[in-house]
Amino acid sequence: MNQKNTVTEQICVPMTVDVPYRFAAGKYMARFLTELRDNGRFVGVKCPSCNRVQMPPRVVCAACHVKNDEWVELSSEGTMVGFTIMYLPLTDPTTGKPHEPPFVYGSVRLDGSDSTVEHMVNVEPDLDKIWVGMRMKVVLRDREERIGDLSDIIHFEPLPGQKRPQ
Amino acid sequence: MKRNVAIIGGGQTYHAARRHDVDQGEMVNEAVRAALKDARMTMDDIDAVFLGNMEFFEGTHLTDCWLAGSAGAYGKPGMKITTGGTVGATIIGAGMHHVAAGLFDKVLCIGFEKQEEGDTGAILSGVAHPLYGRSMAGAAVGYFAMMGTSYMAAWGAKEEHAAMVAVKARQNARKNQYAHLKLDITIEDALNSRMLAYPVRMLDMCPASNGACVVILGDEKTARDRCKKPVWIRAMDTAHNEQFEIDWRNVTLTKPIFSTACAARMYKRLGVDDPKKYFDVFEIYEPATWAEMVWYEDLGLCSRGEGFKLMEEGATAIDGPIPVNPSGGVLSTNCIGASAMLRVWEAALQIRGDAGGHQVPKEVNRALATAYGGTNWTVMTALSSSTED
Amino acid sequence: MENKFVQAPFEVDQHITAHSNYFAGKMGSKFYVALRDSKEILGVRCKTCSKVLWPPRETCGRCFSLLTEDDLVKIGPGGSVVSFTRVHYSEPIHPDVDAPLVYAVIQLDGADSGMTHLIGGVDPEQIEIGMRVTPVFIENRNGNILDIVYFKPE
Repeated sequence: MNQKNTVTEQICVPMTVDVPYRFAAGKYMARFLTELRDNGRFVGVKCPSCNRVQMPPRVVCAACHVKNDEWVELSSEGTMVGFTIMYLPLTDPTTGKPHEPPFVYGSVRLDGSDSTVEHMVNVEPDLDKIWVGMRMKVVLRDREERIGDLSDIIHFEPLPGQKRPQ
Repeated sequence: MKRNVAIIGGGQTYHAARRHDVDQGEMVNEAVRAALKDARMTMDDIDAVFLGNMEFFEGTHLTDCWLAGSAGAYGKPGMKITTGGTVGATIIGAGMHHVAAGLFDKVLCIGFEKQEEGDTGAILSGVAHPLYGRSMAGAAVGYFAMMGTSYMAAWGAKEEHAAMVAVKARQNARKNQYAHLKLDITIEDALNSRMLAYPVRMLDMCPASNGACVVILGDEKTARDRCKKPVWIRAMDTAHNEQFEIDWRNVTLTKPIFSTACAARMYKRLGVDDPKKYFDVFEIYEPATWAEMVWYEDLGLCSRGEGFKLMEEGATAIDGPIPVNPSGGVLSTNCIGASAMLRVWEAALQIRGDAGGHQVPKEVNRALATAYGGTNWTVMTALSSSTED
Repeated sequence: MENKFVQAPFEVDQHITAHSNYFAGKMGSKFYVALRDSKEILGVRCKTCSKVLWPPRETCGRCFSLLTEDDLVKIGPGGSVVSFTRVHYSEPIHPDVDAPLVYAVIQLDGADSGMTHLIGGVDPEQIEIGMRVTPVFIENRNGNILDIVYFKPE
């Protein structure tokens, strides 16, 4: 054919796929989410072998391969183990809406737990006001607004009266 | 292993942010033909084809079916493998096990990604638990940012140390003709690049690349008969972390996690006392600067909390005593489905002495490649010029 | 805390929306440009296999020969129905086509492989294997296989 050596336009076909699904939380996660939604408290499970308190609760301790069947209530206060000041308008994939940057986002170990949980932090995006080791508390939505997922947490908030360690 | 297995050839495409000129099959085919040429083989010589990429990253499923013609897989045995960021190494693992077991003698392994085509953010959100993690939009950059703050608070490292990793990767990439980000940058450039998520800046993160890598594996007879410089796979190992426990970021943890457990098991099997002396070069999977320094510690190249000092000393430079990622690594090229295979292939090139501009200036007999992906899991590959160790 | 518990099921409906941009590449771009600009259908000839394949591709899957633009050939536009089915429900992918819709595999003249497309402009009861058909193009074509609305009997 006589199309040789001609520069061809590079054809691109845009597509969108929307995938609906129904997710079943399972027995242990269901109890965790129900406690969070109905009673505003965090529960975990304690491994009978290594005594590690795991949140969210799960039926098997991955390290020991034994059934977790001791339920424990956790504090709503904890310690910051890592954080970031996010400058990107990341989209919440469950709502399709972006979180307005800059915002602080962190990983907190609730007292009594060996696990961490990640969420927004209600503090100015200023390195003098947020640090690893800072004491935090969870702020929940009102009971009637809670639906039983991590969006029931509005954010973490620093406990008052803390000074940045030098 | 029942039979020794060697890397008897390989190839890659050049890696770039845009490949509008080719479709996925045409891109994959470039690497397949490069690898066959390197191995002095034709597709008729190949017994089976293993292929993989990131799940749905290009908006296409069943890529093994789509790409059967381009991959040379028509009518041949083989399968698609999809294990997230580790996939390139898992594909080699699958091929290696088939050859070691005696099922096939010559296997072609393909890892590819055309990242520009898909919606990586939306697809990756599917990795998180629908009720426990999915609404929390930290993405990969947020994850590594928290690793950074945790690391600085624990050990006294500074942002400058991450910048040193950023510079090392991109300066090494300038010596690698296939690398994506060949940037002539300085520490100041890295520290002044755009902040994405404190302390992670633009130059602290890997790019989104398009590209493919192919590795051809052979059994011992094929390798000795047909290959001038076979590179032997001496061990492969994998380890997962626990669901919900994103341990890698909490850098002071002393319990075994996926990376340390995998390294310990592999070292025991190989009889490795001091990995920095045993291996001559490392190709590690570092999607962000902070991850490279944590890898140093997890792999036992230094004590816990000293990874940033190793970086500061220049020990891991291309001409240092413990060269890490002379290719430029994932920080310079991240076509995800190919990235973990590129670590193994680049390590093999170093042992062959065929790395060209980024060949480390010393004798290389043993190399270690790591992979990383998902909610923390790894595939590690130990390579050697000899079957004796 | 109470260790024995009865837990009601906890289920939620969610969805993930993902966008993608498929690049048609070297051979694919030639095909779509010819379809859009000239209402021509291109296939590719593998000299080794003596076969003309649709859609055009850079590698012959059967013999692994590297094919080039020089191997592109015009096929069709007419062809014969090799196989077909009547679909008695609407398909979301074809919002503008009412059921029953007819899918057919059409072997275009000069090609050795078939193209799957819709059959229209005819009573679905009248379609049979071996029937000669020809493509109907839309006016404003944008480089997509639906630049052909359907194939109709010659």
